[in-house]
Amino acid sequence: MKNLENIPVEQRRRTNPLAHVFDEFMAFCQSRSLFMLHYCTGCGAVELPPVMTSRFDGERLGISPMVSPRQADVLLVTGYVSVKTLKRVILTYEQMPAPKYVVGICSCTVNGGMYWQSYATAKKLSDYMPVDIYIAGCMPRPEAVISGMRDLMEKIRTGKADSWKDYFRNYDHYLGQQQRLFGPKWQTPTDIIGEAEHYGLITKNTRGEHTRLLEEHQKRLEPLEMRL
Amino acid sequence: MRPENYEAKRQPPSNEFELNFGPNHPGIEGNYAFRVKVSGDIVLEGKADAGYLHRGFEKLMENRLWIQNIAITPRICVPDPVPMEVIYCLSVEDLCGQEVPARAQWLRVLQMEMSRFAAYLFYFGGLGSTNGMYTPHYWGMADRDLILDLFEELCGGRVYHIYNIPGGVRRDIPDGWLERVSSTFDYLESRLKDYDDLVFRNQVFIRRTRGIGVLNQQEALELGVTGPNLRACGLPFDVRRDDPYLVYDQLDFDLPTEDAGDNLARALVRRADLFEILRIIRQVIKALPDIDGPIRAPIPNPLAWNVPAGETYQRVESSKGELAWYVVSDGGDKPYRAHVRGPSQTHAVQVLEHLAKGARLEDIAQIMFSLDACPPEVDR
Repeated sequence: MKNLENIPVEQRRRTNPLAHVFDEFMAFCQSRSLFMLHYCTGCGAVELPPVMTSRFDGERLGISPMVSPRQADVLLVTGYVSVKTLKRVILTYEQMPAPKYVVGICSCTVNGGMYWQSYATAKKLSDYMPVDIYIAGCMPRPEAVISGMRDLMEKIRTGKADSWKDYFRNYDHYLGQQQRLFGPKWQTPTDIIGEAEHYGLITKNTRGEHTRLLEEHQKRLEPLEMRL
Repeated sequence: MRPENYEAKRQPPSNEFELNFGPNHPGIEGNYAFRVKVSGDIVLEGKADAGYLHRGFEKLMENRLWIQNIAITPRICVPDPVPMEVIYCLSVEDLCGQEVPARAQWLRVLQMEMSRFAAYLFYFGGLGSTNGMYTPHYWGMADRDLILDLFEELCGGRVYHIYNIPGGVRRDIPDGWLERVSSTFDYLESRLKDYDDLVFRNQVFIRRTRGIGVLNQQEALELGVTGPNLRACGLPFDVRRDDPYLVYDQLDFDLPTEDAGDNLARALVRRADLFEILRIIRQVIKALPDIDGPIRAPIPNPLAWNVPAGETYQRVESSKGELAWYVVSDGGDKPYRAHVRGPSQTHAVQVLEHLAKGARLEDIAQIMFSLDACPPEVDR
């Protein structure tokens, strides 16, 4: 097991035949117990309690709500994200441990939906964070949510749900989009480049002009000031 | 988050701490934040932090035709969307001087009461789970789904049913629908006994909620509390009875009140309201087959519909309280200004900040849920 940890995630499948079997078993296990983050980011959140409770019962598929980002696998972005919410969504996403998956529910995450004219919402979620599955509808029925989650499970089992790797590989692009929206001094306390090194996912798009800007501004973060 | 990125801030020794509730917190309803300053587990001060759901409705509506605006109005309050559509239609009808056919008015009353019942079931689930009881949440959701099925049969949508239109409703009821409404609500009435056993007569629930978050009549009037929260302070005011709209003046119903003004009283008022809703629904089901006629008044070409200039202020009673709209028209094909006065604006901000002072930390989430505020309506 110790040797496995030394091999970067990306190369395990290719080099070690034992790791190949082990990875497939792990992917099967991961797809059968998804913990969704209990963060209700919009009006689509009102269709999530019916998915979880007695009638449609998502728990038979191993999908269950979880309160903390540290223990969650799936981030559900249920509906429009205003700019103020998007900051929290990105911070939450970066706190989740990899492998992590993002599901965009409702039309508003696809292209802004009904609020494409609004001055306050972010239009396209995949500009700011990588998305695995989109579920369209305003709002989608619980059956559609369950069907989307089953697609996600299948994607995880076959190893195709790799949006979290995309975030590490193209971090400069995503950071640039975020800086365009929040201003050049935008930063989170998370060390994405350090994590990308840990997973062996550094590419030529991980570091760039925007991350240099981040390093210029980056200093030791002060505790958040609370204004009461 | 890496610990080395953090540095402890030097502060004078104190026993006061500041805590953030939300927006990502299981005890918060919706996407809403509340910041509290605590000493021990007593809250000294609380500050609401809204705006996570702001979409700029009032500005969006100025850029859309009168008929297009119906589609975005129900998004303002998600658990109880029907009153939003109805009040927008009432405003436009008032500006145009349209007469709504009687059958459409009865259908609107039926929808609003069904939506109110569904919103209360949602509320009981949330209130139960803040006390650690998840069964009311599961039961409430399953029972609410029966009402959503009826809505789906009526208009195709589960939650957002854009069924009302200025001048009436979009289509008539399907065959045999009223019998299904009747049997569904008979079933829901038989379930209420189980809810009583599970929640309202449960000693855990009663001891957790009695005497918490007490609001007296004077404070309630000063803070602008309306709806069931006001009736829990002993003041029987309801727009349905005191300023009747649609056909509520032909219906027979009571306004249950409680005197204590605490969390338990707020829950019991809503519990008693369910019987009144059932009474109203039965009266509508009895009266509706006898009322024939059109379901919609004729409207001009909706793409070139110039509403006469003027302004109007209309109010209805939603499940959260008094909901009012102020709509101004300059004679064009789009509203000049549309303003929403939602009940949650006062309940979730001023009242919550007022009640949080001196409360225990573990009661904050419960006070918030018992006020039944709706965060999208605060932010709009």
